[in-house]
Amino acid sequence: MLEKVSFGVVAFALLWPGFKVVTARNLVHTVFWLGLTLASTAVLFIMLQAPFLAAIQLILYTGGLLTLMLFGVMLTARDQGLLTVPNASHRRAFGGLLAVAAFAMLAMAITQTTTLPASPTAPITTQQLGALVFTEQALAFEVLAVLLLAVTLGAIVFARRGDAGSATENTANSIPARKPLPAPNAAVSQAKGA
Amino acid sequence: MSPIQLALLATFLPLGTAFSLIVLPGVRRAGKLPGYISVVTALVALVSALQLFAYGLEVHDIARVTTQWLPHSVLGASSAAPSTIEIGVLLDGLSVSMLVVVCLVAFCVQVFSLGYMADEPPADFGRYFTWQSLFLFAMNTLVIAPNLLQLFLGWELVGLVSYLLIGYYWKKPSAARAALKAFWITKLADMGLVAGLIVLFVNTGSFNWTGTVAVAGPVTLLLFIAVMGKSAQFPLHVWLPDAMEGPTPVSALLHAATMVAAGVFLVARAHPLFEQAPNTQNFMAYVGGFTALFASIVAVVQNDIKKVLAYSTCSQLGYMVCALGAGSQVAGFFHLTTHAFFKAMLFLAAGGLIHAVHSNDIHHMGGLFRKMKLTSGAFIIGALALAGVPGFSGFFSKDLILEEVWERGLYLPFAALLIAAFLTAFYMGRVVFIALFGKPSEHAEHAHESGFAMTFPLVVLAIPALCAGYFGAELSGMYGEATHFHLSPVGMTASALGLCGIGLSYFMFGAPQGGAALRTVFAPLGRLAASGIVDKSFLFGYRTVLRGFAGGIGWFDRYIIDGLMNAIGYVTLEVGARLRPLQTGKVQDYVYVMVVATIALGTFAAFLR
Amino acid sequence: MGLSAYLLVSAALFCLGVFGLLTRRNAVGILASVELMANAGNINLVAFARFNGNATGQIFALFSTALTVAEVVVGLALVILLYRSRGDVLVESASELKG
Repeated sequence: MLEKVSFGVVAFALLWPGFKVVTARNLVHTVFWLGLTLASTAVLFIMLQAPFLAAIQLILYTGGLLTLMLFGVMLTARDQGLLTVPNASHRRAFGGLLAVAAFAMLAMAITQTTTLPASPTAPITTQQLGALVFTEQALAFEVLAVLLLAVTLGAIVFARRGDAGSATENTANSIPARKPLPAPNAAVSQAKGA
Repeated sequence: MSPIQLALLATFLPLGTAFSLIVLPGVRRAGKLPGYISVVTALVALVSALQLFAYGLEVHDIARVTTQWLPHSVLGASSAAPSTIEIGVLLDGLSVSMLVVVCLVAFCVQVFSLGYMADEPPADFGRYFTWQSLFLFAMNTLVIAPNLLQLFLGWELVGLVSYLLIGYYWKKPSAARAALKAFWITKLADMGLVAGLIVLFVNTGSFNWTGTVAVAGPVTLLLFIAVMGKSAQFPLHVWLPDAMEGPTPVSALLHAATMVAAGVFLVARAHPLFEQAPNTQNFMAYVGGFTALFASIVAVVQNDIKKVLAYSTCSQLGYMVCALGAGSQVAGFFHLTTHAFFKAMLFLAAGGLIHAVHSNDIHHMGGLFRKMKLTSGAFIIGALALAGVPGFSGFFSKDLILEEVWERGLYLPFAALLIAAFLTAFYMGRVVFIALFGKPSEHAEHAHESGFAMTFPLVVLAIPALCAGYFGAELSGMYGEATHFHLSPVGMTASALGLCGIGLSYFMFGAPQGGAALRTVFAPLGRLAASGIVDKSFLFGYRTVLRGFAGGIGWFDRYIIDGLMNAIGYVTLEVGARLRPLQTGKVQDYVYVMVVATIALGTFAAFLR
Repeated sequence: MGLSAYLLVSAALFCLGVFGLLTRRNAVGILASVELMANAGNINLVAFARFNGNATGQIFALFSTALTVAEVVVGLALVILLYRSRGDVLVESASELKG
């Protein structure tokens, strides 16, 4: 009973922030709700007897990724209008319909599958994981390292390209003036501006 | 050198010369140099040909060497017999004799051209000799061909060179038109050759002229269409008089002696095929006889000396075709040989006369005999040979033709040939009496004998023109069965008619006065012939039939074929335009489609289960 | 709790991600939605590893975490590029592919 209640609490702590992530108007709020979701996921991992992954989740996602995304938001939102872009209203209904349909499909698949293992097995230790990473999965691990290097370099190149040709030019000045927001947002933008 | 090597030398050395002159503009424009190179080439070819001829006198079938050209796999296995196409060299009495004719006339013409074309600008001079050498190659390829396909290659090549040389004075609109006309009409006729070759190949699996062919009738008829074009038989003769726009030596070589004789050569070559098609042969005899008569009538009223000779060539080719139609390869080819010599000589002599007075009109000449004894003498010898005066080469061959046609029982063509013989003598006499002995005109005042380059070929050609007839037995042995010549009643009649013609022309044009009455009698005939009725009917056919046909084809092409294509394009464009809004360029729309597709796939999988 | 409960939660999280992906107009918001979806996948992996007793599932989740972070890094670099070139980060304004 306690297990069920705690699972329900965690699930709610996971899904409600998730819902806010996709609906929140303010981007900064979105990012923080995302952080909450990821933290709840870490709790879920602990419930699944995967403490190492939970730690990774907290450190990498909730710590690193969140900071990264906050930087992204701040670098790209010059004013309030950009920061608070509402969802496209004309997509909302159909998008919701699709999402519900997808969930229905997945739920049906999950509930109708009879071959799922019924009970958990012995928990996996972090020691086991370490041994696996450096033996069986060593190649994948190395490849991942190369990929991360490539991503780092790529991100630097992308981010630099804008002012590579004109080092003396002020980066801020080179940003083109923002175009007026498209129709769905126009009213909101004006309201905020006023 | 072996016979094969000699033949290859005589064929490919001119090609080498022509090719070098084409790719080396420096040499081509180097003044008289290309002329000398070309003449030397022709001389080498002539010597080779003569050596081959010496072989050929002893052994009639010298050699036949072929190599596989297109293998069976290329041709596809669908044809009836195992089919390989060969290319090679065939040397027998016929081809060797023809080689000598071609090389000798070509050599004489090229030497003559050195003098005749001397005033041309260097670039044109080089171009002229380039085409001359190319012609020698093309004609020899045709002559030594062991099958009809290779012969066809040479056939088309000589057609091309003919076009190029007729249009030598391409800045003159009339010359350019004449070149185009010759090309068009011969190409039109060559469709027959192509069709004939296809029919032959599909039915026998080879391009050989030997062997029994079930479809000999259609094949030979189609081949004969090409012959009518190339050898200027009525009604496809219209290009030949216009071809006189080319330089006179070209007329001598291509349009009198060799190229136009290619048609006759083809029939003589494919004799085994034509023998199997008596209907085609009869048709040939009638066409030949009519052409001989018709062309000689037209020749009577021409004032242009080259036009007279051109129509005369038509007429003589008619003789040859008629002989071949009578089934006598020997007579036809023998006349080809003698005619090549004396007609080339006539043309060259005419070229000398034209060169002297700078005009083609016989009335502008007059009295040239006293000023140009050698050239005029050659012209007279040629005219006598052409008229069939006993003792000259033309007499023997013409006599043989008449005899063969009579024996075959083709009385109508025979009568036409007899009248043509009379008219031939008449119009040649007319030209001789007006141009050589007539009243001198002011054009002819400063005329003088031409230089060595232009008289030497005349002397060389005069020898065979005078005495080729006496070797009829030996020559005919090379072409087919040896024929002994004897004076027959037929021959005597023809000779008598020829002499009458000369006499008549003397009374009309040679005698101081008189003949006026005769001239009035002939006037309507002259007017009829001069009106160019055939040309007009061709023009009519072109304007109505061909244009209508082309218009119909054009309509079909424009509205049906193009319409189909346009419809496909239009539908594609329309569908594209309708589908275009699907590509909004917005990432999320694509995501939508992806999600929908995933759900659809999942549902589908669920139903499958 | 059975495996299906975890799977259902993860499915719900995934569908929330799908909804965000379809409706968000800001590129950063879309990245966040993608994160949700990746996270749902991770939950699946760990849950299966727990119930099958297979450590490789957790390794997968580990790698997938790293990959997701890498993806966000590149994605944010692109977002910044987008911002530089047109002054905003609205995905509908980047529609050069419009037919």
